[in-house]
Amino acid sequence: MNKKLVSNILFYVLVTGIALIVLFPFLWMLSSSFKTQVDIISWPPKLFFEPTLRNYQKVFEEQDFLKYFLNSTIVGVASVGFSLILGLPAAYSIARYAQKKLAVFILLARLMPGISFLVPWYIVFSRLDLMDSYVALILSHMLISLPIVVWIMTTYFNTIPREMEESAMVDGATRQYAFYAIILPLSGPGIITATTLSFIFSWNNFMFSQVLSMEKTKTLPIAVYNFLSYAEVDWGGVMAAAVAIMTPAIILTMVFQKYVVKGLTMGAVKG
Amino acid sequence: MRKLQVTALAVLSSLCLSTNAMAQTKEIRVLLANHPYGDLLKAAIPEFESATGIKVNAESLQEGQLTTKLTTEFATRSSSVDVFMTRPLQEGKMFYKNGWYEPLSSFDFSDYPKNVMSVASFGPKSYLVPLVTEWQVLYYRKDVFKDAGIKVPANFTELEAAAKKINSDSLAGFASRGKGAAAVTQLSSYVYNYGGLYLDNGVAVFDSKPAVEATRFYGKMLGNYGPKGVTSMSWENIMPLFQAGKVAMWTDASVFYGQIVDPAKTQVAAENVGIANFPAGPKMNSPFIVTSWGIAISKQSKNKELALKFLEWATSKELAAKGMLTNITMARSSVWEDKAILAKVNPGLVETRAYAAKNGNPLDRPYMSAVGEARDLIGELVIESINTKGESANLEKMAKEKVAKVNEMLQDTGEYGKQ
Repeated sequence: MNKKLVSNILFYVLVTGIALIVLFPFLWMLSSSFKTQVDIISWPPKLFFEPTLRNYQKVFEEQDFLKYFLNSTIVGVASVGFSLILGLPAAYSIARYAQKKLAVFILLARLMPGISFLVPWYIVFSRLDLMDSYVALILSHMLISLPIVVWIMTTYFNTIPREMEESAMVDGATRQYAFYAIILPLSGPGIITATTLSFIFSWNNFMFSQVLSMEKTKTLPIAVYNFLSYAEVDWGGVMAAAVAIMTPAIILTMVFQKYVVKGLTMGAVKG
Repeated sequence: MRKLQVTALAVLSSLCLSTNAMAQTKEIRVLLANHPYGDLLKAAIPEFESATGIKVNAESLQEGQLTTKLTTEFATRSSSVDVFMTRPLQEGKMFYKNGWYEPLSSFDFSDYPKNVMSVASFGPKSYLVPLVTEWQVLYYRKDVFKDAGIKVPANFTELEAAAKKINSDSLAGFASRGKGAAAVTQLSSYVYNYGGLYLDNGVAVFDSKPAVEATRFYGKMLGNYGPKGVTSMSWENIMPLFQAGKVAMWTDASVFYGQIVDPAKTQVAAENVGIANFPAGPKMNSPFIVTSWGIAISKQSKNKELALKFLEWATSKELAAKGMLTNITMARSSVWEDKAILAKVNPGLVETRAYAAKNGNPLDRPYMSAVGEARDLIGELVIESINTKGESANLEKMAKEKVAKVNEMLQDTGEYGKQ
C-alpha cells in the first residue's frame, strides 16, 4: 500500500514536471497575450501583472480576425470534405486490390516539397482567373489532406476482414453498396483520425495561402503577420492571435484525441 | 411585345457590360508593405479614390511575404499588380535585372538627394521613387553616462572605453546585431569608418585589411561587452533589451528611435534615452544612410497611366509631410527644410540625419542581385569574430574564401567588375 502511494506520487511529480516543460512555451504565450508591450519585454518576467484585453481587441476588432477564421474554416472543411469523398473510395480500392504503386504515387505528392507546386499553380490559377478564390485554396489544400486520408484509411481498411463485405455481396449487395453500408460505418475511428489530422494540417498551412490568397481569402497563419511590421513587432498582438488560432485546433484534438490514437495504432500494429 | 422585351433586355445588358468595362479600366491593384508609411497610404486611399474616381485594391503584407508574392507573380508573367512598395537595396538589383520595374521617365526626381537616387537609378533611367530613408546612429542611456561620468563617444576608441567602463553583469555596455546575415547592415558603417567596403565597383573586397579590422573590432566589442547570446540577436531581440534597460549603448538604424522613447513600449524614461551620430573610425566617419523603402510601377501593369497617377499621389509632398509628422523619416529633401514640419520632428533625428545626409554612404549591404546569399557569407565572419572576441586567427583566411564565393556569384549574374 505504502509502496503504491510512493510510486503514485512519483508518477504525478514526473508527469507534472514533463507537462510543465512541454507546456512552458504555451503558458508563456498565453500570459503574454494578456500583457502590455512594456510587461512583455520586462526582465525578470513578471509573474503577476495587470491583465489587459487590449491585444485581443486588436485581433478581433482592428484586424477583423473573424473574417480570417471564416476563411480558414471554409478552406479547411471543404478541402477535408472533398478529400474524404475522393480519398475513402480510393483507399478502399488500394486496400482491397493491393494497388501499392498507386499508393506510393499518392504519397509522392505529399513528399514533394509544396513549394515546387506553387509556380505552376500560380500560372494555372491566374489564367483561370481563380486567384484569391476559395476554389484555388481548397484545391491546393487537398494536396495536403488527400494523401493523409488515403494512407490512414488504406491501413485502416486492411484491418477490416474481407469476409464482412463478401458476405454482404453473397446476399446480393454490390461492392459499392457493401462499402457504403458495411465498411464505412465500421471505419469511424479511422475517418475521425484522418479528418482531424488533415484539418489541422490545412489549418496551419502557410505556404499555399501566402501565394494563392489575397485580401479576400487570406487565412489565419498569414494574418498573424499583420502584427509584424517593418522594424516593429507587436508581440502582444502576435501572442493573442496565436492563442486565438490554436484554440480550435486544441479543442478539436482534445475531443477526438482518443480516436486519433486508436486510429493511428490500428494502422501501425496491423498495417 | 416579346420582341420589345428582348431588345430592351439586350440594350440593358449591353449598358451593364459597358459600365462594367469602364469600371474595370478604372481600377488598380496596389501591394503595400506593413510599414508605417504603407499604413498611412492605406488610410488615405479613400481620398485618392474620391478625387480621381480610380478604385484602388490595396493589400498590405509583411516585407518577406511581399517579396515572395511579387517574385512569384512577376516570374510567372501573370501579375495583376500595378504599383508596389519595394526595398531597393534588398531586391532592387534583381527586380531591375529581371525587368520587373517600369522606368519612370516623366517623374520629377529633383526633390531627392543624389546619394538617395543612386539606388533608384540604373544607367540613365530611374525605376523607383524613394519613400523612406534611415541611417545608422548610436542610441545611449543618458542617466548611465551621467552616473559613470563619461561623455558621448565620438570615435571608436571612446566607444570601446565607454563600453568597458559601463559593462556589468546586469547591464551590457554595448549592443549591435550579432546574428549573422542580419548583422551585415549594421557592420557596414564600421567597415566604412575603417576605410573598407563590401563591394568596390562590382568586386567583393571585404577581405581587405581595413574591412577585416572592422569586423575584428565589431566582434571584440560584442564579444566582450555585448549581451549574452548576441550571435543569435537581431533588432527584434536587442530593442526589447534596450527598452528593458539592459543595454547602455546600441548602434542600429534610426528607424527604432520612435519605439524606444514611446512610454507605452519602453521601461526607460524617454529623457534618459539619447541619440547621437555614429562614432568616427580610424579613417573617416561615413555611416550608412539608405533608402529602405521605395515605390514602383510594375512593367507588367496594364494600367500604367492610372498607376502613375497613384504613384505621383503616393509620393506627393503633402503625404511626405504627413509621414514626417508621425516620425517617418521621409526621403524627400524639401520636407527636411520645412521649418513648420521640423518643429514637430524629434531634434535628435533632425541632427543625425543632417550629418548622415552630408557624409553618409547610401549602401548598407553588398549591393548585388544575390544579396541574401552574400549576407549569409559575411554573416559567418561576424559570428566567428564575435565568438573569438575579435581575435580569431582564421578571420583573414575565412574572409578570403567568402570573397571568392561572392565574386563567383557576381560573375554568375554578370555583375562582376561593373558599377
